[in-house]
Amino acid sequence: MDKSFCRSLWILSISFFTVLFLGTSGHASAQDGAQLFKTNCASCHSLGTNKLTGPGLEGVTKRVPPGDWINKWIKNSDALIKAGDPYAVKIFEEYNRMPMTVFTNLSDAEISAIVKYISAPPKKEEKKDGAPAAGAEAGEKEGDNFTMLLIIVTILAGLYFVLRGIKKSLESTADEKFGREPRPDYSGFAGAKLWAMSHKKHVAVIVLVLVAWGSKAGWDALAGIGIYQGYEPAQPIKFSHKIHAGENQISCVYCHAGAEKGKTAGVPSPNVCMNCHKGIQSGAQTGTEEIAKIYKALDYDPNTQKYGPNPKPIEWIRVHNLPDLAYFNHAQHVTVGKVECQKCHGPVQEMEVLKQHEMLTMGWCINCHRETEVTQFKSNPYYADLHKKFAEKFKGQKITVDKIGGIECARCHY
Amino acid sequence: MGNNKKYWKGLADLNNDPDFIKSAQNEFAEELPINFLGKDSRAEGSTPRRDFLKFLGFSVTAASLAACETPVRKVIPYVIKPEDITPGIPNWYATSYYDGHDYASILVKNRDGRPIKIEGNKNSTVTRGGTSARVQAAVLSLYDSARISGPIAKGSPSSWSTADKDIAAGLASGGNIRLLTSTIISPSSMKAIQEFTAKYPTAKHVVYDAISYSGMLDANKASFGKRVIPTYNFEKASIIVSLGADFLANWISPIEHAAQYAVTRKLGAGKKDMSRHIQIETNLTVTGSNADLRIPAKPSEIGQAAVSLLAAVGGGVSAKSLPFDDKLKTVAKELLENKGKAIVVCGSNDVNVQILVNSINQALGSYGTTINIDKPNYLKQGNDADVVALVNEMKSGNVQTLIMHQVNPSYTLPAALGFDEALKKVKLKVSFADRADETASQCDYICPDHHILESWGDAMPVEGSYSLIQPVIFPLFNTRSAEESLLKWSGNDTDYQSYVKKNWQDGIFAQKGAGSSFNDFWSKCLFDGVIDTDGKAVAASVAPVAAEVNADSKKTESSAADASIAAAPAPVANAQDLNAVASNIPKAGNGYELSLYEKTGLGNGVQANNPWLQELPDPISKVTWDNYITMNPRDMREKGYNLMERADRNATLVDVTANGITLALPVYPSPGQAIGTIGIALGYGRTKAGKAANEVGQNVYPITSVVNNTFSYVSSAALSDAKGEFLIAATQTHHTMMGRTVVHETTLDAYQKDAKAGNHTEKFKLQLGQHHTEHTATELDLWATEKYPGHDKPIHFWGMAIDLNACIGCGACVISCNAENNVPVVGKAEVAMARDMHWIRIDRYFSSDADPKEGSHEGKNYTEMENPSDYPQVVFQPVMCMHCNHAPCETVCPVAATMHSSDGLNQMAYNRCVGTRYCANNCPYKVRRFNWFKYSDNAEFDFNMNDDLGKMVLNPDVVVRSRGVMEKCSMCVQRIQEGKLNAKKDGRKIVDGEIQTACAQACPTNAITFGDYNDKESQLSKLNEDERMYHLLEEINTQPSVLYLTKVRNAEETATDGVAAASKQHA
Repeated sequence: MDKSFCRSLWILSISFFTVLFLGTSGHASAQDGAQLFKTNCASCHSLGTNKLTGPGLEGVTKRVPPGDWINKWIKNSDALIKAGDPYAVKIFEEYNRMPMTVFTNLSDAEISAIVKYISAPPKKEEKKDGAPAAGAEAGEKEGDNFTMLLIIVTILAGLYFVLRGIKKSLESTADEKFGREPRPDYSGFAGAKLWAMSHKKHVAVIVLVLVAWGSKAGWDALAGIGIYQGYEPAQPIKFSHKIHAGENQISCVYCHAGAEKGKTAGVPSPNVCMNCHKGIQSGAQTGTEEIAKIYKALDYDPNTQKYGPNPKPIEWIRVHNLPDLAYFNHAQHVTVGKVECQKCHGPVQEMEVLKQHEMLTMGWCINCHRETEVTQFKSNPYYADLHKKFAEKFKGQKITVDKIGGIECARCHY
Repeated sequence: MGNNKKYWKGLADLNNDPDFIKSAQNEFAEELPINFLGKDSRAEGSTPRRDFLKFLGFSVTAASLAACETPVRKVIPYVIKPEDITPGIPNWYATSYYDGHDYASILVKNRDGRPIKIEGNKNSTVTRGGTSARVQAAVLSLYDSARISGPIAKGSPSSWSTADKDIAAGLASGGNIRLLTSTIISPSSMKAIQEFTAKYPTAKHVVYDAISYSGMLDANKASFGKRVIPTYNFEKASIIVSLGADFLANWISPIEHAAQYAVTRKLGAGKKDMSRHIQIETNLTVTGSNADLRIPAKPSEIGQAAVSLLAAVGGGVSAKSLPFDDKLKTVAKELLENKGKAIVVCGSNDVNVQILVNSINQALGSYGTTINIDKPNYLKQGNDADVVALVNEMKSGNVQTLIMHQVNPSYTLPAALGFDEALKKVKLKVSFADRADETASQCDYICPDHHILESWGDAMPVEGSYSLIQPVIFPLFNTRSAEESLLKWSGNDTDYQSYVKKNWQDGIFAQKGAGSSFNDFWSKCLFDGVIDTDGKAVAASVAPVAAEVNADSKKTESSAADASIAAAPAPVANAQDLNAVASNIPKAGNGYELSLYEKTGLGNGVQANNPWLQELPDPISKVTWDNYITMNPRDMREKGYNLMERADRNATLVDVTANGITLALPVYPSPGQAIGTIGIALGYGRTKAGKAANEVGQNVYPITSVVNNTFSYVSSAALSDAKGEFLIAATQTHHTMMGRTVVHETTLDAYQKDAKAGNHTEKFKLQLGQHHTEHTATELDLWATEKYPGHDKPIHFWGMAIDLNACIGCGACVISCNAENNVPVVGKAEVAMARDMHWIRIDRYFSSDADPKEGSHEGKNYTEMENPSDYPQVVFQPVMCMHCNHAPCETVCPVAATMHSSDGLNQMAYNRCVGTRYCANNCPYKVRRFNWFKYSDNAEFDFNMNDDLGKMVLNPDVVVRSRGVMEKCSMCVQRIQEGKLNAKKDGRKIVDGEIQTACAQACPTNAITFGDYNDKESQLSKLNEDERMYHLLEEINTQPSVLYLTKVRNAEETATDGVAAASKQHA
């Protein structure tokens, strides 16, 4: 190979990676403010000039009092209003005395990052279609592999028959040549029968294996009834958990608020969607098409910002179904047990279409209860005094959920 | 004597009938039905064996096909989720229940927009957190598919605008307008009615109670100048004498009375005294069963007994002699000894008898102490004379328009009045009924009112105690509140919610709302459900009494004011008059004396279409799904009727004739019924109430008559000879505990001397080698060894305590359990086969002193004594799963479907059960119930679980069991789990009393206490230390988690040590 070609390849690849590295590292610092903005501010403020719950933020740093006023306002607008700051009071009155959420939990650096992001928001990018394209490619690739395999198998099978034919004709030619009697044709069923007669042990083993395999397959099939692991139905709205929970890192319980409170995690009602989608009217993957379905459900007109009289609920397809005979309570696991959602629901933040990740069988539940250690003894006063009792009882052993009664029938069946 | 008391559930039990013993040995009275549903009685539903096999084949195929199909289940969130609703978490709303008959301040549990459970509101000073069976069942009446779905005009569905237009035109056309309603206890309703009568000057409001208290009201008018019912405070009474008033279960305000009564009956560490209760009555009632001394008397004798009592307490009347005069003398003596702490109540609707009772109370100084006439109870205001006048007016064609609200006169009025004929002469007939019932179906317009759980409103059951009614569900049908209809026809278009709100703003807020805004005040009132205004109604608000009464009280205002200054009631009529009054009391007629009564389940019949109430066993007879003639066994023997001693289910059918009406009814033996009398329950025999009620029993309202201007519920009756047999579904001898001693009982005297009286643990002799030793059953344990000390209960140890002294047997717990735990209704035929599914049953034991089989005992001859079954004593004992710590059921289950939890519960995993029924056979308490059929979505069991509307009442946290599995009380494990979770979420320990089982919550007398034995400060742990504590069948050492407290009677005689009786029997 040409030396100069090799060198240029080297240079090209180094420069490519450098650009890539620089690109990503430069993007990362801007990401902080953007991320913070999305988590804390975007539900009430747009980056443009349009009003949502609060004012649009385009050019906000220029219109408010100079200096660190804006940082103070973000941190604790209420204090500013109470202190009688004229501009703060003016804004407060202008928005019907509706106070802005107080963000004392944010550090000054974080607020500065947000302000930086607001004052220089990124230009609207071209519609990215990386993610679905990649998905499609992956799908195609998988398909290609399968076709390739099929082609290879077909070619090999063809080769086998061609060679066998050649062998046969060579044999018969040889027989003819040497004047032997032509061999009887034991091909097909007759041949197999002949072989079986002379190989009874082999046959017995094969039959045994087949029966065993058949029973196993049958058993598995029966055991699989009612198990819908991998169930991935198409939903009426192409909602992507990957975008929401993954890329935008929205907390699971922001939408599934019931998970912390009670039995059902709940599917959010469209008014929860509107907390963000009042502002975000166009999605990264499907544009306005899917978000418009939320507006339709609420009978909301994004142009006039008015709700109509004919809302219609969205009929989602339920993915995780437990049978009626099992009582499952989210709060017990999420609030009390501090179990991560992903433990049962899998990596939802990576799922484009939601899918049942685990088997959700009783054996699966029990297994987890046997393995999970009870960590709430110290933090939850409900368990006060109990830790000592259990520690004495199970000397040195890990105190798992089953040891405190977590696998008793009436915990889930009543 | 004293120590040979025998407890028996029914005559079959008493007489040791061989069939009874055989069936008692069998846990399941019936063979497994191979035919699909029983035999003869339901031939139309039966299935031949061959078809059964076909069904079997089909169902296997169908099941396997169904199993392969992937179900697509949808999840539909709210469009805009209301802020205070979290799916899966119940919301509780305070409201009030009132159906024209029963009142209770209640809390309603609302799950995802559906009310599923009613519980008592502890804030109420009237009902004090108690409920009754009828109030508990009201939540199912809401989901009654017999309700009409919108206004009906001339028999066909119409619209509100059409109905309004036509009715307004009819009203405007002049003529007399009559408004016939039940007692109205709502100030706002009364105001709306007044607005209506003001708009139409020819309108008149007539108040009518289906079960009348008019006699009492008229008597109070005569005695005190006020036509009101006073408030009774049984809590302050140390002696209670009731002349036929069933005040614990039915009379006026039973929940209120039961709560007060229980306070005086409970005993404990700091309280060694209890009230004495004497009942003089005809039918054996719930109240009479609880009495310390019960004197059976004919209805005619009860009036005379009032005369005798009055004479004995110094009323200056001359009394005739009565068979029980000696007993009356002691009663009078005891009354006089307790002046100012006595209370005498009377259930008669005869104005004369009530005047006499007023005089007795006057003589005893009850007014101002135990009875308060200045604080009226508004629950009963009906005026029978007005109703009679109205019917006569209708007959003469003088009534142009009749509007009816919460009444069903075609069903409830005496036949002799001829209401149906009179109704035909009315030009415009309007009903607010929720269904096309007996009356409404004859009306021109039915303008259906909301169910109470869908309504706005208010109530003032007792002077100065207000409660609010708020909707807990969006109206299910196109209904409109009756008040709104009336207002609309009066030209006022306000919606009723605003109307009530305005009324409260002007009235109660003005007085009580100082220092807050009206909205805050209103929210607080809605939240609490009740508000008291210092014992006096708010002046600016309308008192919920009919205009006439208002006028009356105005007239007597000055005298009442004087009276209140003197702290004594207005003077009563003088002695001379009283003699005249006494002579007016009706005499006994020929034949049997019939006394009509009200059942705890069905009441006046307004909720007759409620299958829960139909299947609730009557507290006394334990009969479901029927009314019948109650008769003393001795009388039955004389008449040659089937005494049902052979544990059979067929009662004798006879014709009963009274007041010219003949009805065919079965005769059911009722030990305790006064000799020479019979009783029949009201509220049955509906014809147009719905599928559960129609043609069940016979309607006996037509038998009532008008005597002295009031409806009389007593008359003389003739009984024919037996004319056939009739299937009776009674649970009385079901699930019997094999003659073992289950009730521990003593007298107050004995208890005061020895708190463990009646409750000494029995010792068993045991030969170990050469030595004879004595042990209690619990000392000897097969299982608890050093190596294995039994079940460890490290966190909680749940249990229950049942105070036999407080339990009045009312059955509220049974219905509450039905609602909480999705207990199916199985119908009469199944109950007759002992397949009732109630998780909690109230065993009613009769007890008598002598064994009828033995002529003499310990040298004393008892043969001269009255037949023990004539007038026995009664004990009620609620029995549910005992959650034994050495549970016999757990050891016999081949698939470990029932097992113990570490918090002391006997758990039942339905999906693991294969239906061997070994557990039920091995349960000494007989508390396990087997699902012989699938009771949901099954047309053979066409009750609420086979009906989309009726299913809305199901508790989503509890599984609906399928065919072939065993079930039983879970001690409301879903509530325990919820309570534990709430504590864990809040990061705290569970507070005692925070978790309540459904039965404990429903109980009006707090007879049931639920708690944690591990919490040493809990109420339960304290009761566990009480001397009266005992375990059911302690001698078999099952170590139950449910404990009982000995029954103590405030009686001198019949001191019986239950345990001793047991050893006698065993010996």
